[in-house]
Amino acid sequence: MDSKLYLAENVLNERRLVTYRLLSRALKVHADRAKHILFEFHRNENAKKPKTVHATYVISGIQKAPEPTPTNGHADDEDEMMQSSPYSTGSLPDEDASDSIRTTSIILAREEDLEDAKATFQSISTIHVYSLEATTLPDLNVLVDASREIARTHEQEDPLECGKQWGMIQNRDVRRRTGAHPPPPPAAPSAKAPAGKALKPSTESMVPSKRPLQQEASPAKAEATKLDKPMSEPPSATNSQSSSKPSGKAAPAKQKGNIFSSFAKAKPKTKTPAPAEPATPLAEDASEEEAEELFPDSTDKVAAGTRENRKEREEKLKKMMDDDDDEAADEEMPDADEEPREPTPVEQPPPSKPAELKEEVTIQGGRRRGKRQVMKKKTVKDEEGYLVTREEATWESFSEDEPVPKKKPAVNVPKGKAGKAAGQGNIMSFFGKK
Amino acid sequence: MVPDAEDYTFLCPPSEEEQEQEPIYRNHSYYGPGYTFHLPAGAGRHYQQQYDDMYFLRLAKLKPAVEQVATDAWDGLIIAGEKVRRVDRVLDVRQGELCWVAGTVYMHLPMKPNILDDLNQENFTSAPPPRLTYTDPSDPSLTQIMMEDESGRLRLTGKFLQSTQLATGAIIAALGTENADGDFEVIDIKLPDLAPQLQRWGGNAPLAGKEHGKIAFVSGLEITGTSSDTLALELLTDYLLGYTGFSGNAENSPSLGSSKISRLIIAGNSIGANIIEDVAVTSFGDAEAEEAQPRKYGYDCSAYNAAPITELDNFLAEILPSIPITLMPGEKDPANFSLPQQGIHRTMFPQAREYSAPPVRGDEKPEVSWFDSVTNPWDGDVEGWRVWGCSGQNVDDVLRYIPIEGDDSSPEKETDSNARMRIMEAMLRWRCGVPTAPDTIWSYPYQSEEPYVIESCPHIFFAGNQPQFKTTTIEGGVPPRLDGDTEMTGAADSSDTARVRLLALPKFSETGELILVDTETLEVEVVRFGVFNGQEEQK
Repeated sequence: MDSKLYLAENVLNERRLVTYRLLSRALKVHADRAKHILFEFHRNENAKKPKTVHATYVISGIQKAPEPTPTNGHADDEDEMMQSSPYSTGSLPDEDASDSIRTTSIILAREEDLEDAKATFQSISTIHVYSLEATTLPDLNVLVDASREIARTHEQEDPLECGKQWGMIQNRDVRRRTGAHPPPPPAAPSAKAPAGKALKPSTESMVPSKRPLQQEASPAKAEATKLDKPMSEPPSATNSQSSSKPSGKAAPAKQKGNIFSSFAKAKPKTKTPAPAEPATPLAEDASEEEAEELFPDSTDKVAAGTRENRKEREEKLKKMMDDDDDEAADEEMPDADEEPREPTPVEQPPPSKPAELKEEVTIQGGRRRGKRQVMKKKTVKDEEGYLVTREEATWESFSEDEPVPKKKPAVNVPKGKAGKAAGQGNIMSFFGKK
Repeated sequence: MVPDAEDYTFLCPPSEEEQEQEPIYRNHSYYGPGYTFHLPAGAGRHYQQQYDDMYFLRLAKLKPAVEQVATDAWDGLIIAGEKVRRVDRVLDVRQGELCWVAGTVYMHLPMKPNILDDLNQENFTSAPPPRLTYTDPSDPSLTQIMMEDESGRLRLTGKFLQSTQLATGAIIAALGTENADGDFEVIDIKLPDLAPQLQRWGGNAPLAGKEHGKIAFVSGLEITGTSSDTLALELLTDYLLGYTGFSGNAENSPSLGSSKISRLIIAGNSIGANIIEDVAVTSFGDAEAEEAQPRKYGYDCSAYNAAPITELDNFLAEILPSIPITLMPGEKDPANFSLPQQGIHRTMFPQAREYSAPPVRGDEKPEVSWFDSVTNPWDGDVEGWRVWGCSGQNVDDVLRYIPIEGDDSSPEKETDSNARMRIMEAMLRWRCGVPTAPDTIWSYPYQSEEPYVIESCPHIFFAGNQPQFKTTTIEGGVPPRLDGDTEMTGAADSSDTARVRLLALPKFSETGELILVDTETLEVEVVRFGVFNGQEEQK
């Protein structure tokens, strides 16, 4: 029989704890049946060879009043009708009415203590096996591990669907929001961002119109998509952030192509962030972004807009922190509002950008050799101790077999470069130009 | 060792034919949360206002009520040949004249936290350390009770005061005369008494049938994320989900009982204190070392211990599929510290928030959440009953105004919990749920409203995180000695006498107790979860 095999393997061979809930999950049976299975296994195994299997029991019923309760609770409860007492004359009833409140106790006990535990009860309504284990448990707290295991191994099973099978009390009124089912907590941050995005198309239709403003933001979004290429240079725009930030940003989970393919073509030698790399930095980002992820936005905004958005929001948050506003992290802050306003400064720098990369090419007998300017990332610590990542143009030689980057021929703008290196310069240069 | 299978029908091998278990369904929860304590978000919240607005509004709201009570009692009363006169303002009291006046109580206590002391020590940003009492047991004479209104202040004295309990912020009417010292010698006191109480369902037709349901209350889960406190929580989860016992087996099977529960109210302190303190200490200790590290928004992520909140989230997410939850923040929870505490933000609960309503935008009427993270204090309608509750700060604080009975500093549990019950009763009779805010409880400076005034008497009044479970029922109405014939009045208006179930909820982490209130009779039941430590006890 399947259940016996399962128990023999887990309890006897692997010496693990099996609680009735774990069994019920594993075998997909009703919790009541799982309790019976545990009981039978316990009895059969111990009949074959005593003390091979130990059990813990849950006793529920009414405990004897005078007995000190196993927990440090007090049993003196009272329930009396106070006469319409003139205020505060200390007319609370005396303390002898402790029997009027029904107190049910649900007590977990080891097999060895079962009889003692039962003796503390005045009447027992039910008793059942809670768990089986190979040896006696010195500390019952290890039972918690079993429930952690349930959480770990059976996390995908939706309690709303499987609950009936396990014997959970059902509720017809339960309302859960549609949309992405959040991943389990341990894996959550890293899995979340990419998964959310990947899921998006499929869940799109399910998303209730929770964020109507998002749709309005789509013009801005279209722009953002258009400007995606310029955005390949975000680190310099946000260099006041921690170093992990820019790399996270520069490595979007979605290889959307336009940025990275061009990047990759442009400079095979400079290291493009490996696909695996994003996982960690993104994890950090994801936690900030959480507000967004549960409600996957109904458009492709996430792909194009997130990075931008994130940056803006961060700046905004920073501003808010300065203002001592504790509402800063509030997700109710309509993030779509800021979209039309903020992108403008960010958008502007790009025009100067492509112009910076120069190349000098000599063609010798069909082979192209030369030097070209590429942007390299450099992370330095500034005088305030912040890690600053900036991009600097460096010369790099190449020969023909490397693909030629599709860059516009050089128009040298050294000024712009200097401004960039100074940090928030892109905004300044924007204003300067105007 | 193996228990006899015959003893209990439930300890038996599984029956061969696998019969389909009928799923048990929970009753519908009729629920209408109140937004009395909901503060405007973000820019709508201002902290520049002075607190006197609150006192002014409280007096304006409650003075008519207390004056009505006092007029009924004292109008035309003649004591020692002198007719009692009513005085409108405390400054109008004339020496030697028998009169009564209504105003706000202000208590000057020697150990009360004083903002000026804090400023002197230049650490006014830290919360005042919790004190057992503000009174000085060695010298009771240092306690001064005063009554004030917009005109001025009057010191109250007299033996009568020693037999009453008062706290700053309560509105009372006092009868007496001004003595030669300029103090007001009090001979009697009247309170606004219980606010008018609506009937169940607000007087409307009941929405539910007569079947008995239960409302579950728990407080002080104090989850620390370590395994030691999780086992009781585990048993609680099993119970609430109906796994404990056998469904449909016995009459009093626990799972049958728990299927009656239509809502769980968690009254504060779901997160254990020590973890947060530990983190606070460490992050405070090496503040200088941190300066070198990159920090976001001045916050050190590495010092954050996510275990308690993750554990709480797991707990909530596990029971939410079966039972709706109202979660109130408490003193130790990650919410704002000053009352009214706003609900714990849903982003704290990545799993449980699936069950909460979408965020509100603009002026939309918020949708009622299945998982409702509400304010503290909180009021609302549950199964037709009006419920008013706080996570316990209000009671704890008023208790500090009252001299500790007995000389030792650790009051006996029983008298302590009796005192707490009396305080809760007094609050209802003062018609003020948090009288000592904003004096000794930090509070949002309300300007145009005074939400702590209880305008409509609740049916269930609870305070969380009390050392011990305690419950009682109080009744309002006219004090019996006035109308002379108590029985007749009692019979005549028994239907519309206000009647309130008081609940002092114990800390689950200490007692393992879950409190169930019957939705029809408001009777109380306790379910206690624990582990039998037989062997340890023998040692």
